[in-house]
Amino acid sequence: MALRMATRRLGSKLLPRFSSTSVLHSHATSFGFKEIPEEEKSRMVGNVFSNVASNYDLMNDLMSAGLHRLWKDRLVSKLNPFPGMKHLDVAGGTGDVAFRILETLNSVKSRATQDVLDDNLHEETQIFVCDINPKMLNVGQKRALERGLGEDKSLIWVEGDAEALNYKDNSMDGYTIAFGIRNVTHIEKVLAEAYRVLKRGGRFLCLELSHVEVPVFKELYDYYSFSIIPAVGEAVAGDRDSYRYLVESIRRFPSQETFASMIAAAGFQKVEYENLVGGVVAIHSGLKI
Amino acid sequence: MYRTATKRLLLLRAPSGSNINIKARLRFPFLLPPHNQNIDNNTCRFSSTSEIPQSSPNQNHSDPTSTSTAEEARPQETQRKRRFVEYQDEQARVLQASLPLVVRLGWTEAAMIAGAREVGVSPSIIGSFPRKEAALVEFFMDDCLQRLIDRIDSEEDLKSMIPSDHISKLIRFRLEMQAPYISKWPQALSIQAQPLNVPTSFKQRAMLVDEIWHAVGDEASDIDWYVKRTVLGGIYSTTEIYMLTDSSPDFRDTWSFLNGRVKDAFDLKKTIQEAQYLAEAVGAGMGSSLQGFVKRAFRG
Repeated sequence: MALRMATRRLGSKLLPRFSSTSVLHSHATSFGFKEIPEEEKSRMVGNVFSNVASNYDLMNDLMSAGLHRLWKDRLVSKLNPFPGMKHLDVAGGTGDVAFRILETLNSVKSRATQDVLDDNLHEETQIFVCDINPKMLNVGQKRALERGLGEDKSLIWVEGDAEALNYKDNSMDGYTIAFGIRNVTHIEKVLAEAYRVLKRGGRFLCLELSHVEVPVFKELYDYYSFSIIPAVGEAVAGDRDSYRYLVESIRRFPSQETFASMIAAAGFQKVEYENLVGGVVAIHSGLKI
Repeated sequence: MYRTATKRLLLLRAPSGSNINIKARLRFPFLLPPHNQNIDNNTCRFSSTSEIPQSSPNQNHSDPTSTSTAEEARPQETQRKRRFVEYQDEQARVLQASLPLVVRLGWTEAAMIAGAREVGVSPSIIGSFPRKEAALVEFFMDDCLQRLIDRIDSEEDLKSMIPSDHISKLIRFRLEMQAPYISKWPQALSIQAQPLNVPTSFKQRAMLVDEIWHAVGDEASDIDWYVKRTVLGGIYSTTEIYMLTDSSPDFRDTWSFLNGRVKDAFDLKKTIQEAQYLAEAVGAGMGSSLQGFVKRAFRG
């Protein structure tokens, strides 16, 4: 720690390239393709998301051609929510995943299994939506009202940091993070926190834009992400830089295999991943025993 | 047959007391982790799933890429195996706890959720089971088979029985195991019949039939092998269905039905054998007369 502080001080005083030595050990400390000091990242990411919050949904639909809805559906169906569960959705400010979990639970409720499960189990269901960015949370809360879920007691909106969660050990049944882990400063810390808050048998699921290895598709995808997405971002949201950051941060994110071994290193068992659309996104899952 | 063979092999090798591990390994032989850490999956497919080998939780967190250096490869591998079994044990525990609840809740996720709660594991774990309800039914089938094998091994007086009685006795043992679940058994059958689950349920039934023939002391390896197994499979399944609607005390009707079918099969076998002998005799007679005819034809 002291060493890092020292290099940091040196770095800020002397040359900018010194600051990059302090972050050599962590590939997470990059802002797109730029190397930045660790302390800067959360602020800069915060700026990006504050900038895009208002157009977030529209842009998601445009960029993924609506596919992100299917990906999130797939994530929730893999999670297999059950009545009475305590779930933590990190970086889910817009509530996309949380709403889907609630819908699944409500449809489970109406199924025949309902009469055999106690009704008060449904009362116990709690879905914590945690996001570091209050603007994104506002978007989610607004949408909850539009969907008529504003009064729903099982939805709890929390402003919080994925690297330092404000929950007790062994308190959650499920943990999801959709399109969020790419933007954190220390992936390892986030994974360790996820492992800490989960109960025995609890599951960690992560939906993230990942790496395409399919030959021709890869070139197409690269062209699409470096040329078209920033242009669309500028045209629709009036913010080219934020979307360039988005694309670059995807390329900086560890590959499926590496990320899976990171999850295993955090202590999770039965670590698996599933590539969707040839690896444009991947769903990683792990189980805490 | 191969199942018992593997079991005996493993039992010979492993010291006593490690029974559970063997059971777990037998139960999921196809899930054993790959020995090589660098699995090259994720090739040109648009949707692919893969399982990642475990590594130790206490290793250096800052550099995840250096997990497989040569020196630490060996202890890591053993640890991985141990943890793998741990996970399987956990799944088995949840399913075992769910079985008593099946009578009330059916072969459903609700039963598994309640089962998981009972053993103090988060019901979230059910999401990681392959094919949900089918996992429960398949677990039950495996469990019953294991119990049947244990019973075959422990009861010596079975061996002195004549084959037809022996077979009906074993089928009866096996079907009696699902008697407590009889009200929910149609549901289990329908789960087994779902296209995704058919391969496993077919395999499990084949194993069961194989085990019964093996216990009776059948060592056939020709075409008879298939005939015998098909016939026994048929008898087992029809009796299973008969049992569903049987309301007689202690399923008395079912057992007399079963005895009747086994007897039929053995009678049929005898009839076929007799017909075979007759055909052979006729063939031999025909052959000699044909030979005589040819000889005469050549001579003349």
